Amino acid sequence: MPRHLILFLASVITVGAAVWVGAQERTPAPAAASTAVATAPGSAHSSAVTPRANAAARLEGEKRFRANCERCHAAPGKFPPRMMATIVRHMRVRANITGEDARLILNYMSQ
Amino acid sequence: MKSPCILKFRANRVTEMRPSLVILVNCPANVAPLRAAAPWSPSPRQHTGPSRRLFWTVAIILLATLVSTPYANAQAPDAQSSPESYEGEPIPILSAGMGFITPFEGGAPHLDPLISPVILIPLGNHWLIESRDTFEASFVQPPGSGGFRGKVLKEVDYVQLDYIANPYLTVTVGRYLTPFGIFNERLYPIWIRDLQSDPLILPIGIGPSNAGTGAMVRGGFAAGPQIRINYTAYFSTLSTVSPMDSDRFAGGRLGIYLPGPRLEFGGSFQHLLEQERSNSFGFHFAWQPLRVPLDLRGEYARSIHGSGYWIESAYRLRQAPFWNNELRRAQVVARAQQFFVGALPAASLLPVNTQQVEFGLNYYFRDDLRGVSSYGRQFSALGNENIWTVGLTYRFVVPLGRAEARGANN
Repeated sequence: MPRHLILFLASVITVGAAVWVGAQERTPAPAAASTAVATAPGSAHSSAVTPRANAAARLEGEKRFRANCERCHAAPGKFPPRMMATIVRHMRVRANITGEDARLILNYMSQ
Repeated sequence: MKSPCILKFRANRVTEMRPSLVILVNCPANVAPLRAAAPWSPSPRQHTGPSRRLFWTVAIILLATLVSTPYANAQAPDAQSSPESYEGEPIPILSAGMGFITPFEGGAPHLDPLISPVILIPLGNHWLIESRDTFEASFVQPPGSGGFRGKVLKEVDYVQLDYIANPYLTVTVGRYLTPFGIFNERLYPIWIRDLQSDPLILPIGIGPSNAGTGAMVRGGFAAGPQIRINYTAYFSTLSTVSPMDSDRFAGGRLGIYLPGPRLEFGGSFQHLLEQERSNSFGFHFAWQPLRVPLDLRGEYARSIHGSGYWIESAYRLRQAPFWNNELRRAQVVARAQQFFVGALPAASLLPVNTQQVEFGLNYYFRDDLRGVSSYGRQFSALGNENIWTVGLTYRFVVPLGRAEARGANN
C-alpha cells in the first residue's frame, strides 16, 4: 500500500478519534452550567434561566477562566459583550481553548 | 562577487542590543546562497528525500483535518461551534500593548519604547482575521555623543485568517507565531511577560521574526474529566518579503493540562526544510498551585545551534498579612537560565555559553497599567555584566464599531 495512503488513513483516524473523544466528553459538563449558558442573556430562551443555574454557569465560567486565561496573564477588565465576544474568539484560537470553555468563559466575562 | 547571505532575527530586547535586526554577511562555502533571485521557487535540494515526505505528511494531515470537519460539525450543536452567537455579533476591535523600557546593560542605558497593535476582525460565526505588528526602537548613547540614537524596527508578528471549524479545531492560514514552547506562543506580549528580557533560548525553533508563513491546525479537547489536550501542527514556507520573512519548516506542539493540580506540560518539535535541515525540539511546563498565587514556568529547547533552559517563578503578594491593599498589587519574579552553544552557532543566539539570573518586582497600578523593574547578572566567557530594567507597560482595547448590543439601551 502506498505510504501516502497509509499516512492519510492514519491522519483521518487520529483526527476523527480526537474529535469523537471530545464530542463524547462534552456531555459530562455540569448540567446546570450548560443549561444556563445555552439560555444566557440575549438568547431566545433567556426567560427560562433560573438564578441557581445562572450562578452555576458563572461559577463554572470562572473556573474555566482561571484554568485557561490566568495561566498566562492577570485578569483583564470587563468589556461590553460584543467586544468580549471578539476577545474570547481571539483567545480561543491563541490559547487552544475548546468551544465549551470559550462559551463558559464568555458567559462569565459578560456578566 | 559572493552572494550575500541574509540572516534575520529578532533582537533580544534586553540581553542583545544589536543595532539592527538584519545582518548581511558573505555566505560560507557550505551554506547555500539564499533566497536572492526567486524566493518562492524551490531549489534542486528542496522537495527531496525526508523533507518531501514530511511536506506530504503535513499536507495530508491538513487535508484529513478538513475532511473530518463536516463530521465534527455534525456532532456539535450550533451553540458549541459558534459560542459567541448568543451574546450578539462580535465586533472588530483594536488592542495594543505598549511600553517604555529602560534597560541598563553593563552600565550603559538604553531607551526602548515599543508599541504592538493588535487588530481583530470577526467574520460571521466561524471566522476571524487577526494581526499584530510591533514597532520597537532601541536608542543608545554612542560614546562621545550627547544624545541617544537608534532605529525604529517594525515587524509583522502575525496576519492570519482563522476558521473555527468545530469546537476542537481551528484552521489558520497566513503568517502566524511559530508555536514552539510556551514563551513565543503564550507569554511574548509586553503586557503579559513578567520579566522584560527574552529568554536566551527564545530564537530556537521559532524562525526569523518569531513567525512562519503557511498553514496551521490547532485546537484543544478534553481527553477525560481531568485531562485536557491542546495541539498544533503547522507548515511554513520560505518568505523573504521583509518584514514578513520566514523559513521553510514544519512541526508540531502538544500540551497536556491537568486542571486538578493546575499543571501543564508538553513538547514541541520542528524540522527545518532548508539549509542544514536540522531538527529542533523542546519541552515546557507551567504550574499554578491552587492555594498560592504563584506561577512556575520552565522551558528546555535544543537544536543544532544550541540548547538551554529557563525556569521562572512569579509570586503575587495577594496573601500579604499587612498592607494588603498595596502589596496585593505587587509581584516578585525570579528567573534562572542557561544557554549552551551548539555545533553550528547562529547569529540570533549568543556566541558563548552563558548563564543568567534575574530578579524582578512588578506593580499593577491597574489591570492594564504596570510598573516593571528587574536586576539581573549575566555570566559568560565574554565577561560578566549587570542588567537593570525599569519601565512601564500599558494595554488598551477599543471597539471599532458599536460595542453595545442592539436594544441594550432600551
